[in-house]
Amino acid sequence: MRRAADVTLVLVLLLACAAALLAGGPAATPADALAALAGGGTPEARIVVFGLRLPRLLLGIGVGAALALAGAALQSLLGNPLADPFLLGISGGGAAAATAAFALLPVAALGLVPAAAMAGAAGATALVWWMARGPLGPSSTRMILAGVAVNAAASAAILTILSVAPSPRLPGALAVTMGSLASANGAAVAWLAPYLFVPAFVLLLHGRDLGLLATGEESAAALGVEVGTVRRRVFLAAAALSGGAVAFAGVIGFVGLVTPHLCRMVWGQSTRRLLPRAALAGAALMVLGDLVARRAVAPAELPVGVVTALLGVPFFVVLLRRTP
Amino acid sequence: MTLLAASALSGGYGGAEVVREVDLAVAEGDCVAVLGPNGAGKSTLLRLLAGILPATSGAVELRGRPLAAWRRREVAQAVGFVPQNVSFAFPLTVAEVAQQGRAPHLGPWRPPSPRDHAAVAAALERVGLAGREGAAVQRLSGGERQLVLLARALASEPRVLLLDEPATALDVRHQLDLVAILRELTAKGVGAVVVVHDWNFALRVANRVAVLHGGRLRAVGTPEEVLRPELFRAVFGVDVELVERPGDVPFVVPRA
Repeated sequence: MRRAADVTLVLVLLLACAAALLAGGPAATPADALAALAGGGTPEARIVVFGLRLPRLLLGIGVGAALALAGAALQSLLGNPLADPFLLGISGGGAAAATAAFALLPVAALGLVPAAAMAGAAGATALVWWMARGPLGPSSTRMILAGVAVNAAASAAILTILSVAPSPRLPGALAVTMGSLASANGAAVAWLAPYLFVPAFVLLLHGRDLGLLATGEESAAALGVEVGTVRRRVFLAAAALSGGAVAFAGVIGFVGLVTPHLCRMVWGQSTRRLLPRAALAGAALMVLGDLVARRAVAPAELPVGVVTALLGVPFFVVLLRRTP
Repeated sequence: MTLLAASALSGGYGGAEVVREVDLAVAEGDCVAVLGPNGAGKSTLLRLLAGILPATSGAVELRGRPLAAWRRREVAQAVGFVPQNVSFAFPLTVAEVAQQGRAPHLGPWRPPSPRDHAAVAAALERVGLAGREGAAVQRLSGGERQLVLLARALASEPRVLLLDEPATALDVRHQLDLVAILRELTAKGVGAVVVVHDWNFALRVANRVAVLHGGRLRAVGTPEEVLRPELFRAVFGVDVELVERPGDVPFVVPRA
């Protein structure tokens, strides 16, 4: 049963990738794209496939995997099924900094928006961590409360920026808040890939520890988990993954929250098994979501966050009702 | 041989000392019952002994070496801890919780071997949960959850077992089962420390009794040495009658 689910997951991801490369408008029809992938095709089709669709596909895989991994890890770390990069204010901090950068930076410096988003996510992370430290050390409840507060502040900041931003800058700033993979390019992907790899490895390394932490810190410590060290590493790694995702794709909700739950329903609660599958499922959901975002109302585009929610919610509802 | 020894052990939370200068040793085959009024520091003492809570002064030694000198995972391989309660945020099954007991032996990557599965199955069998492996822990009664947590600790095959009020939610049948389990383990040389409120339960399982009061060890010794009405009056503020039973431990009856 689990083996079959594994195979299905990989097949879905591969099919989604193939569809993302092949499907598109008249500049590169599926036949043109296939020819380009085979090494031939028109120069125009090659540019579309390798210069636009492939970076966008890779960005989608990276962002989807990063969000789902971060969500799965944070849920276990904090022993709270509602935890995700949003709830903890990390995405919000990144988005606030990115919208501010979009609204305020001169045109020549707009390349710094991802760096600003990273810095915002890191700042929000540090703030949440600092607020969560009580006299008895950081606690999960305090961390979530701190996240909610940081999130509220970030939302207020974003709304303020949007209401005072000069109108030519509004579309870019809005895109950050709605989430989009449209800005994908080879350089962004080349930069993001190694950046995501290290924190992803850290989370996978602590898969078993996270499973133990999901039943409480005392219980995890009694079972051999170095709680302080693991909590610090996992929180930083999850924040780095979320920050990277926000920097290049804006705020994409739902993937980080629901993908881990979908996977838990299929593969059970072992976090060691869950994390790699959540990463693959997040990637698949994001690639499929972006495909729909790109094609549903072509030549216009939908915000990918809206699509991932629309795609994921029905699955989630069905699985939730069926799970005992 | 001494497995676990506390010397002048103090500790607490956020600068407030809850346990003060406790000396306590657990040897192979020992079962030490820790008793005392609410808030006396019993659970805190257990956390300090498990190394979950760092001592503010004094030390705990596992097989002659300070806990701080061991890696957390090595401590967990040797010391099993049964907490009073655990919050289950996710719908884990009975088997999944019991399998957590093998984690200290596995490390980050290794999947459970047949040997690990056998230890888990034996532990579930021993607490009477065989056949309930797939049940969701969140749906179990309080007593059944205590049994699952006991099974998790048994599955880790510890040399020392620390139990925090393991019998509070158990019916009489399961309390007697727990007594039998603890006797089996100590007969095999495992050392146990069990925090309890029920004196009669303590007298059934323990070869030594430690009484905590205000964070300090008020008395420690064999049940016969510790079991004195003056002590009950001083520590709990109640008068008790000791009903002697030939060939068995006395029965403690509080007087209203």
